Amino acid sequence: MAVKIFRWKAIGPLALLLVIIGVLLWLFAEPVAKDTSEEVGTELLGTQVDIGKLDIIADEASVDLRALQIADPFNPNKNLVEASEIRLKLNPTALAEKKFVVENFRLSGMRFGTDRKTPARPVEGDGFAPQALRSVRQWSQQFDVPILKLTPIDTIKQLVLNPTQLTTVQSAQALAARADSARRALDQSFQQLDVKGTVDTARTLVERLRTTNPRQLGLDGTRQAIEDARATLERLKDAKKRVETLERQVKGGVGALASGLETLDEARRKDYAFAKSLLQLPSFSAPEIGEAFFGRVSIDRFQQALYYTELARHYMPPGLLPREDPGSQRLRASGKSIRFPKERAWPKFLVQLGQMDLAIGGDSPLRGAYEAAVQGLTSDPWLYGKPTVVRTSRTAEGSAIASIDVRAVIDHVRPDRVKDSASARLRGVKLPSFTVPGLPFQLRPGTGSADLTFALRNEELSGRWSIGSSQVTWALDSTGKKLNDLEQLVWRVVSGLKELSVDARVSGPLRSPKLAVSSNLDRAIAQRLEAVIGEEVAKAEKMVRAKVDSLVAAKVEPVKRQVSEVRTQAEQRLAVERNRVDDVEKQLQAELKRLTGGLVPEIKLPKIGL
Amino acid sequence: MTFTRPLAFRIPPFRPVDGPHYIPPMFALLKLIQSIIKTLHSDGTPGQVAAGMALGAVLGLTPLMNVHNLIVISLIVLLNVSFGGAMLGWALFVPVGFLLDPLFHSVGLQLLEAPSLRRLWTDWYNTPLIPYTNFNNTVVLGSVVGWLAMAVPIFFAARWGVARYRATIGARVQQSKFYKAITASKAYNVYRLFKPE
Repeated sequence: MAVKIFRWKAIGPLALLLVIIGVLLWLFAEPVAKDTSEEVGTELLGTQVDIGKLDIIADEASVDLRALQIADPFNPNKNLVEASEIRLKLNPTALAEKKFVVENFRLSGMRFGTDRKTPARPVEGDGFAPQALRSVRQWSQQFDVPILKLTPIDTIKQLVLNPTQLTTVQSAQALAARADSARRALDQSFQQLDVKGTVDTARTLVERLRTTNPRQLGLDGTRQAIEDARATLERLKDAKKRVETLERQVKGGVGALASGLETLDEARRKDYAFAKSLLQLPSFSAPEIGEAFFGRVSIDRFQQALYYTELARHYMPPGLLPREDPGSQRLRASGKSIRFPKERAWPKFLVQLGQMDLAIGGDSPLRGAYEAAVQGLTSDPWLYGKPTVVRTSRTAEGSAIASIDVRAVIDHVRPDRVKDSASARLRGVKLPSFTVPGLPFQLRPGTGSADLTFALRNEELSGRWSIGSSQVTWALDSTGKKLNDLEQLVWRVVSGLKELSVDARVSGPLRSPKLAVSSNLDRAIAQRLEAVIGEEVAKAEKMVRAKVDSLVAAKVEPVKRQVSEVRTQAEQRLAVERNRVDDVEKQLQAELKRLTGGLVPEIKLPKIGL
Repeated sequence: MTFTRPLAFRIPPFRPVDGPHYIPPMFALLKLIQSIIKTLHSDGTPGQVAAGMALGAVLGLTPLMNVHNLIVISLIVLLNVSFGGAMLGWALFVPVGFLLDPLFHSVGLQLLEAPSLRRLWTDWYNTPLIPYTNFNNTVVLGSVVGWLAMAVPIFFAARWGVARYRATIGARVQQSKFYKAITASKAYNVYRLFKPE
C-alpha cells in the first residue's frame, strides 16, 4: 500500500490552530506589548518605567501610551519625567523589518521631577544600565572631596604616628632592598666582565715584545709578532666594549636608585598630609572650603550627566559594524542577538521627529509657553547621518519657574568624532536644599538660577555647574548639637550671607578628571578662619612636619648613604677597569709601532676607537 | 447527503469538575505517554514514526516560541508522519536542547560573526518578515543548524530503534497491564486524527 505524503484532513484543525493563535495575539498583544515595553524600558534606562495603558491602533500604525512614568535612577522617590499621553506614529514598512521607526510623536501632560507614590525598584543584574550606574557611582568616588573639619585647636594634644603607616618609611625600605639588589647585580657583572685575563695576556705580550729586536726576528718572526699584537688588540677592543656596556648598565641602575630617592621626597609630602589629617586641622584654604561645601553636590550633577552620556554612547554607537545585544529573556539560554545595519536601510530604532508645542494659561504655576523637540534619536546614528538634537524650553515670566532651556546634541555619526554635549539653563527655579558635609548646617538657596553644561568629546570631559541665588537662608541641623567655637564662627559668617554664587567645573580625561569649585562663601569663611586660628594651625603643622621628619629620618638617611655608596663604588670600579685596558692598549700600540717601523706598507694596523 | 462532523470537532459535553470522568491537568503527561506508547506499537511505519521524531526534535532543540516552530508544527500536522512520534521527539529532545544551549550559542555566534556570511545576514536582517524568525539570535540560529545536522541521523536511528522495539519487546509490552491501563482512556481520540495512514 502506498503511503500518502499529505494528511489533507488535518488542514482544518491546522487552520483552526492558526486562527486561535491569531485570536490570542489579538487579545493579548496590548498587555504583552505593555509588559514588554516596561521591561525593555526598565532594562535600557536602568530605572523603573511604568506604563498605565498601551493601545495599539493598527489601522493608523500607531501606539498610544498613557500614564508613562520614568523613575529617576538617582532618586527612587522621584520621577525623572511623567507624561499623561504619548501617541507614537510608527512606520509600517520598518515595522515589517522588525524595526521601530517613530515618524512623529505627540506628547501631552509632560512633567519633570514629580514625586512617586511608591519608590522605584532598584534595577539590578548584569544589564548595561545597572553596570553604567555602578560605574558612574564609582567614577564619582574618585574625587578627593575634602570635608571641612572644624575641630577646636585646643583639643589637639599630641600626634601618635606609627612609622609603618608612613609611605616614606615603606618607600625607603623598598629602596634599600633595591639598592642591595643593585649592588649584588653589579658585583656579578664585574665578575663576568673578565677584563683581568685579557689585560694580563696583553701585558705579557708587551713584555715579550719589548725584549725582541725586529732585525733579529727576521721577516716571519716579525710578521708573527705583529699578528699576535693585532689579535691581542682585538681582544682588548672587545674587553673595552664590555666595560662600556657595563658602564651603561651602571648608569641606568644608579639613575633608577636616584629617582627612587626623589620619590622619597614626594612620599614625605604625602606623609605630612596624612599626619595632618590625623590631627583634623581646620583648613582655611578657600578652594578646599569651596570643595567641602559644594564638591559633593556638584559631582552628583556631573555624574547624572555622565550616566546619560554613557547610555547614549552604548545604545547609539557610531559606525556600521554588526552589534551584539543580549538576547531576550526566556527559559532557555538567551544568547546574543546581533544587529546587521545596512546602508540606506532603516535603523533598528529611530525617532525621526517628536514635537511638543503648547501653552498653559491662567493662574496655574505651570503656566507658560512650552516647546520641546527630539530629532534623530536613533540606535544607528551613522544610518541617520545627523546628530540627535533634543531641545526643551519654557518661558513664563512671573510664574514659579520663569524659564527652562535645555539643549543636547549627541553626535555619534562618525567613530572618530564622538561628541556629546548638553546644556541646561534654568531661571527662577526653586533650588533644592542641601546639607553641608561634615557640618550641622543646611543651605536653603531658595529661588534662583542654575546652569549646567556638559560635554564629552571622545574621552575628554568638560562640565560646568553653577547656581546663583539672592534669597539664601541657612538652618542649623535639627539634632540640637552644640556648636564648638569654630563652628559658631563659620555659622556667624554664613548665616549673614543672603547671596550665593557657586561655580563648579570638571575637566580632563574621563578616567582622571579634575574638579574645581569656587563660591562666594569660600573667601569669606577662609579669611575669618585664618584670622582666628591661622597662627595655631601653623604651629600644629610645624609639629606635624617635625614628627614625621623624626620618624622618617632614621630610615631615609641610611638609604641615601647606601645609594650613594653603590654609585661611588660602581663608578670607581669602572674607572679602574677602563684605565687598565687603556694603559695596556697604549703600550701594545707603541710596541706595534716599533715593530712595524721598517716593514712594507701593506701591513695595516688595526684601528681602535678609543 | 448526511453531514458527518469531523472527529476533531466532536467536543466532549461539559462535565462538572468533580465528576467521575473529569481528567485533571496532571494527566496530561499520562496522555503523552499513552500516545507515545501507541505510536511505538502501531501508529505508522517505523519510517513515519522516525520522520515524526526528526521533525519533533526541532521543537525540543530550538527555543519554542519562534516562527520556524510554527512552520514545523504545520509540517507535522500536514505531512503524513507520526504525530505521536513528533511528540516523542519533542519530549526526548527538550533536555538535550537545554544541555546543548552553550554549544548552540557558540555555533550561532561563529556563524553570525563569520565575515564571509555577513553580507547574507545583513540582507536577511533588512528584508521584511525574516527578522521575526530571530535568525540573528545565536541560540536560535545555532540550534536550528544543530537540528539540521542531526535530523538525518535522528531519522535513521529512530527508524532502526522502532523497528527493533516492535520486533523484540513490543509484543510483551502490549500484553502488560501498564500498557492496557494506559491505552484504556478514551480521552485521546483526538489524537487518532493525526494517526498515520
